[in-house]
Amino acid sequence: MQLRDYILRRLMVLPVLIIGVSIVVFTLTRIGGSPVGIYLSHEMTPDEVAEIEARFNLDKPVWVQYLYWVRGIAMGDFGWSGVAAAPVADVFPLKLAATMELAFASGLVALFLGIALGTYAGARRNRLPDHVTRIVAVSGASLPQFWFGILLLIIFWAHIGIAPIGRSDAAIFASIAHPTGLYTIDAILAGSPTALWDAIWHLVLPSVTLGYGATAIVARMMRSALVEELQQDYVDAARAKGLAERIVLKRHARRNALVPTVTVIGLTFGFLLQGTITVEIIYRWPGLGRWMADSVLRGDQATLMTYVLFTSVLFLVVNLIVDLVYANLDRRVTLGK
Amino acid sequence: MLDERHCAAPVASVRDLKVHFQSKRGIVHAVDGVSFDIRDGETLGLVGETGCGKSVTGRSFLRLLPVPPCILAGGSVTFHTHVVCKACAGVGCEACDGTGRQAGWDRSVDLLGISSEDMRRIRGDRIAMIFQDPGKALNPTLPIGAQIAEVFLQHRTEELIALAGLPPDTVGAIRRFASQSPRFGDGWLLSLPGPRRAQRQRVEESLAKMVADALAETQVPNPGKLMARYPHELSGGMRQRVMIAQALACNPDLLIADEPTTALDVTVEARILELIRNLQQRRKTSVLYISHDLSLVRRISDRVAVMYAGRIVEIGTTAEVFANPRHPYTRGLMAAVPGADTPRGKLAAIRGTVPELVDPPAACRFAGRCPHETGTCRSNDPVLEAITPSHSVACFIDHPAQSGERPTYERVTK
Repeated sequence: MQLRDYILRRLMVLPVLIIGVSIVVFTLTRIGGSPVGIYLSHEMTPDEVAEIEARFNLDKPVWVQYLYWVRGIAMGDFGWSGVAAAPVADVFPLKLAATMELAFASGLVALFLGIALGTYAGARRNRLPDHVTRIVAVSGASLPQFWFGILLLIIFWAHIGIAPIGRSDAAIFASIAHPTGLYTIDAILAGSPTALWDAIWHLVLPSVTLGYGATAIVARMMRSALVEELQQDYVDAARAKGLAERIVLKRHARRNALVPTVTVIGLTFGFLLQGTITVEIIYRWPGLGRWMADSVLRGDQATLMTYVLFTSVLFLVVNLIVDLVYANLDRRVTLGK
Repeated sequence: MLDERHCAAPVASVRDLKVHFQSKRGIVHAVDGVSFDIRDGETLGLVGETGCGKSVTGRSFLRLLPVPPCILAGGSVTFHTHVVCKACAGVGCEACDGTGRQAGWDRSVDLLGISSEDMRRIRGDRIAMIFQDPGKALNPTLPIGAQIAEVFLQHRTEELIALAGLPPDTVGAIRRFASQSPRFGDGWLLSLPGPRRAQRQRVEESLAKMVADALAETQVPNPGKLMARYPHELSGGMRQRVMIAQALACNPDLLIADEPTTALDVTVEARILELIRNLQQRRKTSVLYISHDLSLVRRISDRVAVMYAGRIVEIGTTAEVFANPRHPYTRGLMAAVPGADTPRGKLAAIRGTVPELVDPPAACRFAGRCPHETGTCRSNDPVLEAITPSHSVACFIDHPAQSGERPTYERVTK
């Protein structure tokens, strides 16, 4: 089984990569200074500071500190978050769920809308739909998220007053259980239409802000790939078989155009993660992004290191998935070796 | 080669076909008033150098030209559909004058005038096409079995349903599956356990059988296994066999072969040519064979049409054209083919290149390159006229203009 071997081989490399990433993350963070600041207050005496340093092993050499950190991670202890005033390991899953809900919502929209728009425009090259899509895509790729987000906020929250802010209505949030942490899923599990509507309604503006740029990138890529594929001989050969234009487009041209687009989609994922920071700050979304922004400002190193480590692993996994999809779309791609 | 077919009815008649292209420098007259017939069962070779409009002519049969920039500026391509004679199943009997063919479902249609829906019904079923580079004309992301299957799904739905043992009035998701027009949700509907899934599997098995039969026709080893392969896993010759199997899957009346062996090496070329010939003779398919290779066309064609700069300059039976070429361009082409007695290092060539076809003047297109040209050639436009019942040429040498100097072969003016 070639595919299983390939996945196993890639997964076996993963620990090595993670160790490498962890060293880089730890070193870079320590260059920023001692992490002790977050645990201190102005009233503390030097003795108390020394006591805290000893408690967190900050009086030891840096490489020993690294080992302590790694040992902690191995035991499920990612350190204490000064910003959240709780252990990182306890808060992280909750914040992660919030960010994932946002990223999924905008990511899925970007994926499907981007491919659909790109296909629509590419099949009608240089006609009106193509020009309209081009304007949408270019503006999407060039509008800064912080500006676009604030613009939407001013229009729909401040002026029209229909859009909510934050992640959910407190009363509705308290009315259902939260087994997954994804509010839309929780609402469906609880069978509460009110909660589902509330969750979706809160998601709309943030995910539009976050997804617009990604949609634009995917649509542009898809469009140009499709235009190129439509000029290939096999498209004419498919037409010469008597196939309907719809089938020529979907089965033949689009499938081939997806090959380069999938690579771009994998890269867009990083763009989305980065975007969550801005979007969460603008919309007061209680996710990882906002937590990270606060942590940076306050020097909460335990949180930052966990975040960077986590996103690195996520990126590796996403790239593995992209490679698998890629090989599945185009059989000329051989996996492995 | 079927000499008794000189009088056979045409399967397709091209009349005054004009295909133009918009370009930044003006309108390119790529095909400018071309007329010829393809007779039932014959191979018509269409020769000429690159850029003379051969492929555009071939593609206009199936309207496979991008509009715009292409403009179908005029003329007609009349197609007379034929079917294998029902009385004798193609062997040849009195009812069909020994041709094995009889007139088909629709006496004749103008391929340039019919709706795109009707055009699609003809494409791949009544008129099929083989492309120059099989490596590019097969979709790299689909197994070849699936690509051939599309032809059957498109044109042979009824046969497929019958072969799967389903009643002819089958409707719903199964019929949509067998006619390649799925609706949203059909995929799930047909993969849920139940009678529908069993029916789908039967259709798939029948389809696989039809595809394997089509592949077996082209003498590929192990057609059953080949179906699951992807184009990049096959050699060039194998790919072209797959293309041929796909093109001949529905037993078309007319096969347009657009330089099908140009991308192949010479040993494979010979075998592919033989294959096309065999299949053609067995199935009585007419072939329009487009090529720039004169000696190849001589080997396989019943008749030859020589194209130059968007016009046919000479057309006739292969024997006559090669024994007695009349047009200076044809003569130039033939002189350029090296023979066994051509001295080493000496190759004849025609001076100059094909003229740009933006707003061509009313003059012989070959004037400027022709060794025998006179003032007449530069101010008059020759038309294709017969010199024998089966040989026509467009040149003032054979058909002098009403006024002006007459060019002759003896007088070399350039």
